[in-house]
Amino acid sequence: MPSVAYALRRIYRRHYLHAYAFIAPVVILFGLFRVWPSLETLYFSVFNVELLKQQLTFIGLSNFRDMLQDPVFRQALVNTLIYAAVIVPVSTVLALLLAVVFTEEFGLKDLFKAVYFSPTVTSTTAAAVVWWWMYNPQFGLFNVILKLLHLPPQPWLMSSHMALSAVIIFSVWKTLGYNMVIYIAGLQAVPTMFHEAATLDGASPFRRFLSITVPLLAPTTIFIVIYNMIFALQAFDQVFVLTSGGPANSTNVVVLELYHQAFRRYRFGYASAEATVLFVIILVVTVFQYIYSRRYEVAY
Amino acid sequence: MRGRLVITVVLMLILGVGTSYVGAQAKTTITLWYPAGDVAAGPTSPFHDPALFKPFEDANNVRVNLVGLDYDTMEQKIFAAAAAKNIADIIFVDRSWVSGFLKEGMLEQLPPAVAKRWLAAVSPDVVALSDFGNGTMYGYPQLGYDVYALTWNKQQFKEAGLDPNRGPQTWDELRADCKKLARRDASGNLTRVGFAIRHVGEPHGIVDKFAWALWGAGGDLINDQNALRGGHVMFDNASGRSALQLVLNMLNVDKCTSLNFPDPRAAFLKGIASMQISEAVSIRARQPKEAPDMPWQTGWGMEVPPVPKAGDKPVTLLGGWIFTVPKAAKSDAMAWKAIAWLSTEANDYSVAAKFGMTPRYKSNWAKEPFKSDSYDQALLKIAKYGRRYPLNLGLDGVMEALGASIQKAWHGEATVDQALTEAAQAGNKAITDAAK
Repeated sequence: MPSVAYALRRIYRRHYLHAYAFIAPVVILFGLFRVWPSLETLYFSVFNVELLKQQLTFIGLSNFRDMLQDPVFRQALVNTLIYAAVIVPVSTVLALLLAVVFTEEFGLKDLFKAVYFSPTVTSTTAAAVVWWWMYNPQFGLFNVILKLLHLPPQPWLMSSHMALSAVIIFSVWKTLGYNMVIYIAGLQAVPTMFHEAATLDGASPFRRFLSITVPLLAPTTIFIVIYNMIFALQAFDQVFVLTSGGPANSTNVVVLELYHQAFRRYRFGYASAEATVLFVIILVVTVFQYIYSRRYEVAY
Repeated sequence: MRGRLVITVVLMLILGVGTSYVGAQAKTTITLWYPAGDVAAGPTSPFHDPALFKPFEDANNVRVNLVGLDYDTMEQKIFAAAAAKNIADIIFVDRSWVSGFLKEGMLEQLPPAVAKRWLAAVSPDVVALSDFGNGTMYGYPQLGYDVYALTWNKQQFKEAGLDPNRGPQTWDELRADCKKLARRDASGNLTRVGFAIRHVGEPHGIVDKFAWALWGAGGDLINDQNALRGGHVMFDNASGRSALQLVLNMLNVDKCTSLNFPDPRAAFLKGIASMQISEAVSIRARQPKEAPDMPWQTGWGMEVPPVPKAGDKPVTLLGGWIFTVPKAAKSDAMAWKAIAWLSTEANDYSVAAKFGMTPRYKSNWAKEPFKSDSYDQALLKIAKYGRRYPLNLGLDGVMEALGASIQKAWHGEATVDQALTEAAQAGNKAITDAAK
């Protein structure tokens, strides 16, 4: 008890109280609405849950065993990993190229910048509805363009072979603007002296880009890759609106699958197990990326 | 002295008026949640009329608050609200959601005597929607039929040399008419399909628009209509194969339909599909706005979907929503009273007549306007062949599996046999998992 009193006195004397008071609302809300539900999800994953009856039946790892044997979950997991593995590098590279373009001066630069950024501030659902029509094989914009170019129309969202690619194209479009803005900020922080020195040494613009810009942007790239990876692994709304996971589960992703299990089939324990697996994957990928990418950080 | 008197009178007036005002306020407010949008079975939704429950409210000193929820997430919202014990007193829910709600013990049951009276008074198709097995009822079905019908464009039938007042009766006729009705551009691409098929989006929607063929051929989704748990799928057989093959033949042999017209109703209303099968009420509700030149009876007709061969019994999907009361309702007695009021014979008649819906009571069908309304009579004829989905807890998984197999087969990504075998495995697994 004395130690507690001592700690409280110390906090008071050092004016820590103000700091704790200021962060308390956020910490409490975060704990209530993020941490507690997450812990409860982990807990539910080893139970058969009847939520309204408030009945929990302990079943050990049965949910996890069932999940691994479930071809729909396995396909959703593979789709999620493909989605993330494609969208993150494609969106990152395109964003970097665009950011480099936008660091140069040219007419209507700000307008183009706004155009590229606009998808970021557009509701994903609203944008996905518009894209659903653009992908329409009969009346959609994409097939009209293909027709003008004398190319065969594509089934886009209607085909199991193309639907995931179509969703990825939409998601790249949606995330590009945000990544571009982060890169522009990163580029503005790169000291010009390195470029000037390299120019004097006769380095070409491409060489300077590869040897100076890219390495010095490593912290920005790390942030963009981790941030995009986390969101890509949690993809839901664009898939829900564009394809509902079809055709034939070809675009089903883990979050959509767990949503179906929880809110269509009322298998809350099973859905919690799926959420737990996704949580572990995101954690492992993020930690791995963070540790690995720190090797490429450059101090200047 | 005079001043005090004035103040006293004013205070008395304020108190008196205030008390009468408060006394006149409804003692109870009950809330009814319904799906906002194009799901109510009639040209206009009665829920959009704030006076729908007015006589009931006046008689019972209660207010019925009608709240529209987003249809796509309504089931989840209801469940979350029930878990939080902050749910509406009356919920108007899709019958296919009921099994999940029953699993969680969420719904109140109607007293058996009340259920018995209701089942004896309403038409047979309404009995099918009301009865959850052995006369058990959890609520009252909606007014208006949510039944699937074959609809056709009469002008296009005439132009193709077909009888505009008769839809195809058998699968052979459907294929023959489909071929005659399809139109192509100079390059040979279909610009109008004879018959539009649904093969994208929610698997449930795909199965909804395929059930007529499966059932017509003698197959089924699950063997027992009323069992909540257990059972097995009934489509990995000759019936399932012939139903899938019918559409495949129209796609690949007759080439009179296409995967490029993914929304049958929209295609029909745009005039780029001559026939389609979906909820009749949706065509009825959307046609005046979207296809004003194609009015009911002279512009479009409807019939029960065709059968494999002459003499077979047609079957079509009979969907439905029910008014029910969750156990967590705060004013459950008043809630039951309100929906029982809406379901009296007299109100069934007046509400149906006012909103252009079909009644539920057998006796009301003998009255005007229903007796001589061509659309209502056509619906009644189709509804006789209506079949509802089974109650099984595994139904969602079965529909996901069958929906995926339909897509694989029609998209040419699996043979009919492979697709059905895979769907049967997944469907049976879903039934087993749901029963745990």
